[in-house]
Amino acid sequence: MLLDELLSRRLVVLTGKGGVGKSTVGAALAVAARERGKRVLLVEVAAPVEAARLLGGPPSRGRETEALPGLFTVNLDPATVMDEYVRHVVKLDMLVRRILGSPIYRRFFAAAPGLKELMVLGKIMVLEEAHKRLSHEPQWDLVVVDAPATGHGLAFLKVPLAASAAVPVGPVGHNARRVLAMLRDPARTALVVVAIPEEMAVVEAVQFHRLAAGELGMEPAAIVLNGCHERRFTDEDEAEVLRLTAAGAEGDLAPGVPLKAALRAARRQIRRRKLTRFYQARLRRSLDTPLVSLPFLFREALGLEDVRLLARKLEAA
Amino acid sequence: MAPRLSAAATLERALATKRILVACGSGGVGKTTTAAALALRAARSGRRVLVCTIDPSRRLATSLGLNQLTGKPRAIEIARLAPPPARGGALWAMVLDVKSTFDALVTRHTPDTAARERILGNRFYRHISAALAGSHEYMAMEKLLELSTDERWDMVVLDTPPTRHALDFLEAPDRLVDFLDASVLRWFLRPYFVAGRLTLKVATRTGAIVFRLADRFLGLQFLQDLSEFFLAFESMYDGFKERATRVHALLREPSSGFVMVAGPTALALAEALYFHRRLTEKRMNFVGFVVNRVHTDPAREVRSRGRGPCAVAPELAARLAQTLREQQVLAGVERRAVARLEVDTRERPVLVPELEQDVHDLRGLAEFGELVFTGASAPARAKAASR
Repeated sequence: MLLDELLSRRLVVLTGKGGVGKSTVGAALAVAARERGKRVLLVEVAAPVEAARLLGGPPSRGRETEALPGLFTVNLDPATVMDEYVRHVVKLDMLVRRILGSPIYRRFFAAAPGLKELMVLGKIMVLEEAHKRLSHEPQWDLVVVDAPATGHGLAFLKVPLAASAAVPVGPVGHNARRVLAMLRDPARTALVVVAIPEEMAVVEAVQFHRLAAGELGMEPAAIVLNGCHERRFTDEDEAEVLRLTAAGAEGDLAPGVPLKAALRAARRQIRRRKLTRFYQARLRRSLDTPLVSLPFLFREALGLEDVRLLARKLEAA
Repeated sequence: MAPRLSAAATLERALATKRILVACGSGGVGKTTTAAALALRAARSGRRVLVCTIDPSRRLATSLGLNQLTGKPRAIEIARLAPPPARGGALWAMVLDVKSTFDALVTRHTPDTAARERILGNRFYRHISAALAGSHEYMAMEKLLELSTDERWDMVVLDTPPTRHALDFLEAPDRLVDFLDASVLRWFLRPYFVAGRLTLKVATRTGAIVFRLADRFLGLQFLQDLSEFFLAFESMYDGFKERATRVHALLREPSSGFVMVAGPTALALAEALYFHRRLTEKRMNFVGFVVNRVHTDPAREVRSRGRGPCAVAPELAARLAQTLREQQVLAGVERRAVARLEVDTRERPVLVPELEQDVHDLRGLAEFGELVFTGASAPARAKAASR
């Protein structure tokens, strides 16, 4: 159901504070869309560890690279995107080389406010609008963007708004307004806020939601609560766990599996489950946006199988 | 050589002696909470401490028992906590307001009212100054410089902006100074705007190309705003540069130190390692790593006496065993990630176990501080002692 809603758009932007598992959610969403037969591009921005690795694909660096059949990944480096733009605008090879080699250009690019974000968003717009060769069909059915977690996730999405105010004329201002229109168009773009069941992440998700809907004019399409703990113990189980704990029960559940340690683990699991419930309820209460919960996975390292599992959860949501 | 102090003892000593303590780390690792907990602990041991946060959300305010923090330092009521603080101990807190710090900086460095008004009213400045790459970090440094000379405090704890790479904090001021560097941008912008009018006298060919390119990208209006901004900034540039140099010197002093806050994941710790290396290269004083939200192995925490089977229904037994196994996997992954950091840095990180509940008041903050230094909360220790 949720997937129907998201896949009716062309662009899904995932946002949330660092450490909430945005890239995993992005990979899962891309796989889920792929399972529905969509041609998908997963975009990351200067990601230190590429989602391609999660999917078992080759590193993509700056190029669209096929990680799974029909699922491509690309890791955009703002400086490369900027160079590419200069090449596109200037065209003359000799001039391009001179500009790209100029220290002024480098320094300006390193510090110019919002230029990196604007370039990357412009590139995403180009990808979203790209058509297949000699055809009217779009190159990608769905573009999933894992927005960089720069402090406030908003900083990245705010740039087109600030740029259209600060640069009233010229192509940069014009492009900023086009990017803004794309992001604000609910038929084209879905904003998805990712959080985990922890106080700060949830507070920030709620704040972010309000700012996005208010200041940016982008109404989030869904909240994904990642890392949720499932209900494992029934009420009777819980009572039994407490009883055994109070009785100081000893012994082994199996060789090398001490009951006492398992009871402690169970109490912790029950507490985490309560927190999950608490934050689910809080998000539902504070925001009128569909909420999807994804499970916490206890793994040595996440791999393709785990991503597929999360994709199925998204499909079922 | 003196014997090496344990990680917690090193941190404790830093709290007793440093004048500046900078908490860095990527976002989402409990940096703000750690900074506040360290400041509170130092205050309770008798020092006068100011904690300054960049975070505009109300988290720090809430954990300090306030509704809101402002750009002005505010005294925090710590006397209610038991045990009461040592003599003279006091805590203040404030939040950094980037825009007003920038405005204050402009006011400080402009020679006259006209120059000041020109900058503060400039369109480029108004829309972009707060978004200038590195301006948060630069203003944090600027504020630190101002606070470091304030006699009211023995120590300032600075909670740095959340950045993807913790190091941005150290390098951003240089980038901003580079951007404002008169010798770079002015030379290609200035000749074209004389008294607000565009002239086409072009100094060099590359300059002309870059200018035409900029015109095509940005439009004349914006270039004019930008040009005016730089012309107005001309008088301030030296002041900026000088302050940036002083901040770097200040951070290298032995009385300054860095605490790196991280999470227990391999990715977060790899970043912590990188930061440690760069700090060492820059000859800054590294105090220690604080690794938050560490998941522990329940089997290592309880002593099991009995052996042999126990009377638990098979279904529940299976679920219990699975639950224990999962938590042991997680604890093992984190333990190995931390061990790699120890090998690579030869530092012993302070490990803070996952909290039973989130910090949202002064008491919780004090509890968190206990956890940092003892690995156990006060009630848990009391319980252990009574046994």
